[in-house]
Amino acid sequence: MTSRPDLLPGTLDMLILRTLQRDALHGWAISERIQEISEDVLEINQGSLYPALHRLEHRGWIEAEWAVSELGRRAKYYRLTAAGRRQLAVETREWERMSNAIGRVLKHA
Amino acid sequence: MITFRTLMLRLRALFSPRQAERDLHDELSFHIEREARKLIDQGMQPDRAWAKAKARFGSATVVADECRDQRGTAFVDNTTRDVRFALRSFRRAPLTAFTIVTTVAIGLGVVAALFTILNTFLFRADAVPDISEMYGVERARLANGDQSPFTRPAFDALRRETRVFTDAYAAVHDIDLRVDGRMMAATLVTGNFFDVVRVKPVMGRALAPTDDESGGNRVVVLSDKGWTRHFNRDPNVLGRDVLVGGAPFEIIGVMPPGFRGLEVGAPDFWAPLAQLAQFLPTHRGRENSAGVSIIGRLRPGLSMEGARAQIAAWDSNRESGTAKDRAGTIVLPPKRGTIPQPMEAVAVFMPLFFAFGLILMIGCANVANLLLARGVARQREIGIRLSLGASRPRIIRQLMTESWLLALAAAGGGYLISRIALGSIAYWAARTMPVDLGNANLDLDVPAADWRVAVFLVIAAMTATAFFALMPALQATRVEPVRTLRGEWVKNTRPGRARNVLIGIQVFASALLLISAAVFLRSAIASSHFDPGFRTADTMLINIVNEPKRAAMVQAIASESTVTTYAAVRPGMLTWPDAALATVGASRTSVLYKFVSPEYFEVFDIPIVRGRSFTASERDGDHPVVIVSESTARKLWPNGSGVGETFRLEQDLGSGTRPAPSGAEGPVPSGAEGPAPSGVERPRDEPSMPPRLVTVVGVSRDVAGFRIIDTKEAGIFLPISVNAPKTSVVVRVKGDSELVHRTLLDRLTRVDPNMGLIVTMRSVARLETFFLQIAFWVSLVLGGLALLLTVSGLFSVLSYLVEQRTKEIGVRMALGASSQKVARLVLAQTTRPVIYGLLAGVGLTASLATVLIATPAAATMTEVVRVTDPIAYVASLIVIVAACLLAAWLPATRAARLDPMQTLRQE
Repeated sequence: MTSRPDLLPGTLDMLILRTLQRDALHGWAISERIQEISEDVLEINQGSLYPALHRLEHRGWIEAEWAVSELGRRAKYYRLTAAGRRQLAVETREWERMSNAIGRVLKHA
Repeated sequence: MITFRTLMLRLRALFSPRQAERDLHDELSFHIEREARKLIDQGMQPDRAWAKAKARFGSATVVADECRDQRGTAFVDNTTRDVRFALRSFRRAPLTAFTIVTTVAIGLGVVAALFTILNTFLFRADAVPDISEMYGVERARLANGDQSPFTRPAFDALRRETRVFTDAYAAVHDIDLRVDGRMMAATLVTGNFFDVVRVKPVMGRALAPTDDESGGNRVVVLSDKGWTRHFNRDPNVLGRDVLVGGAPFEIIGVMPPGFRGLEVGAPDFWAPLAQLAQFLPTHRGRENSAGVSIIGRLRPGLSMEGARAQIAAWDSNRESGTAKDRAGTIVLPPKRGTIPQPMEAVAVFMPLFFAFGLILMIGCANVANLLLARGVARQREIGIRLSLGASRPRIIRQLMTESWLLALAAAGGGYLISRIALGSIAYWAARTMPVDLGNANLDLDVPAADWRVAVFLVIAAMTATAFFALMPALQATRVEPVRTLRGEWVKNTRPGRARNVLIGIQVFASALLLISAAVFLRSAIASSHFDPGFRTADTMLINIVNEPKRAAMVQAIASESTVTTYAAVRPGMLTWPDAALATVGASRTSVLYKFVSPEYFEVFDIPIVRGRSFTASERDGDHPVVIVSESTARKLWPNGSGVGETFRLEQDLGSGTRPAPSGAEGPVPSGAEGPAPSGVERPRDEPSMPPRLVTVVGVSRDVAGFRIIDTKEAGIFLPISVNAPKTSVVVRVKGDSELVHRTLLDRLTRVDPNMGLIVTMRSVARLETFFLQIAFWVSLVLGGLALLLTVSGLFSVLSYLVEQRTKEIGVRMALGASSQKVARLVLAQTTRPVIYGLLAGVGLTASLATVLIATPAAATMTEVVRVTDPIAYVASLIVIVAACLLAAWLPATRAARLDPMQTLRQE
């Protein structure tokens, strides 16, 4: 775990929002999805995932619903809200601007 | 951003925390289960899979905690936790908590009691709809204090000719009259009064304009106070009669509680202004020249300044009235049923608040000291909490929460104490107040506490908390966890200077209050020995208000067997005499004069030092003879004896020697003589004294007169008969004068049920000392409390210091310090702050006294109150020093008895 780099600060929220863009997921599925798509580069620390989910929920960017899961017991599913969609757009744009800038510096400086 | 949904989330977390907790637990455990299932699916042993899933998740408790923090209810959660924790720590040290609450509650209680009184006079607006529209119409006071009032015709004209008010009423306030042997206060109002104030009766009907027409109805409307006080809230009171001036007035209505008719204290009833002559017989036939107050409801949209200008223009355009009538300008004071000059009242209350506030301050200083000490004692606990990861703000919040809880409890206790204090003061004052002189309107009911008092208490408690809790809290958290865990005290938490300042302040405040108490006591003692210069032990003043009954009244007095002598006097003993101009040669001197019958000097035991008294035949008033007082004789004839001199005497119309009438609405018991409401001016044409040459037949000894009752004895006496109108009767009785007072009251009430004042001169003399005694008791209680708090504070601080320095003392003793030296060391701790405090207290008191003596306005006061009495100063200082020594004694002896070996072994 120590060999893997930590997430850049502030990016966890964006990743969660992006993961929830298509359909509603529960917490475990969110971390699995991120790990899977990043090809195991990004492993979400569970200790920060759930506080982040609760924070986003209290900000009104995602909403939660209890539903029966694939295990047959109830689980908390998170879904993006309209405000969350707008927030995701803002954060994605900001991230692209930032990574472009860093990329340019690395290439040309 | 709080949307409806997030708000619901918060509310749910707040109000159904159990549901929120279960959800959180389910969510997190689902994660672990799902992870474990994944590992099992990958082929891992179930128990290993579970263990790994759990390990990977980390501490579920910490995660849950962080999730909770996201809820936005952390503040409430933390506060709840703080409160629980504080309550637990109070349970651990209940005595400390009790001490703190009691100490602060005493301080808050005395301040709240004072505020309740202030609130009653200043802030308690009357229960009148849209009261901010109510304004009085007055002519401004002239330079000599005179204020020419409006009359009923002027009021009618104002109502007709101006459009400033939607409507206005006229009133004559504060008419005291005896009804069935008891004093009642009446206010006469025009028939539209209740329409203007827009208050409906709870029973019966209010006055109507038809009641107030000439020859209208003899009816009265009771206030809630009058209904309670005189009719015991009898539900069948309507239709009963009140006898006024010998005529029955029917009770037609009762007003709601809380309605005071825009006065500070409600009258007992309201009656139509048209009945003025029935209430004040002096005005019979002259009703239209009686002064009235005008109060109106300002037309909406009109500014007060605009209204004032309109009325001023109207007033100066009016044809009637002499030049004197219009000499002033118009003022429109707001009428809210509070004291009209709030700033003056605040000025009076400021020193009182200061004195009372000192108690609160001393209490807070004590508590601060206690908390400082406790903060040090709790260093270990706080150190542990800091090292376990509590943040400093978190601990400060914790300590502040404790203080807040204490303050809240203290506010509650303070409320109780203020109620008890006010109740006992009212009870005590009513019982010791010299009888029958008290204005019937003087409200000795316990002032009610309303929301303003509650707000004041909470604010005062909060301020006090900030004062006593913040500093110790900050001190206590400035610790180094590691060292405190090892049990070492940390050097930089030595609040020694703060503590010394606190002790100094306490001693200073005690000195201030105790010296005041001693000054008042000494003055009260001196005052009770004060000789007003005439007999007060067995003399009595009787005012005759109903001229047609005069002969019968005099007959009743004369035939009373306990009355040995009676005499006439005009004006009465409690009224300021008029001034006359005495022309001797070329010089003219203004001298106070009054009319007395020959027996006057005999009744009051005033010796005629030269010449003779009046003879019986001189009392018809036709003889041009006078008696002058010794000092007047000296003034007029510096070189002669005065007897036999002839001089010209005429009424002094121009001078303003009579002081301005005191505020009409204040509860001022002085000048309470007879029915002379200040709104109604004494007509100028009486007592008549045609200018003439008079001869001095005798010189009487000077009479000092009362000092606190604002009157002066005259310098020139003219003869009069008891049968002359408007004279009062003074009598000398034998036997117990209080007993005779009751007998006479009984007898005279039967002659005239509405008879005026009857009062023993002894109770007037007692009134002299009464106020001094009140001042003494108030300052003694305050000073005693201050000293008690100071001493207990000193004691606890010293005890704590000895405890804290046990090690050092042990070392000193082991190195050869004697127990005497050790005791001295402890005493020395407090010597300096105590001395500084004493010096400051004496200095401030003495300089205040010097300022007072130099103030001309306070001349009569400093004459009575001996503000620089050295014995008072010395005595209070001795008391304080003795008390401080006593407080230091126990800790000092304990330090001296320490066993050095034992204390050293403890290390």
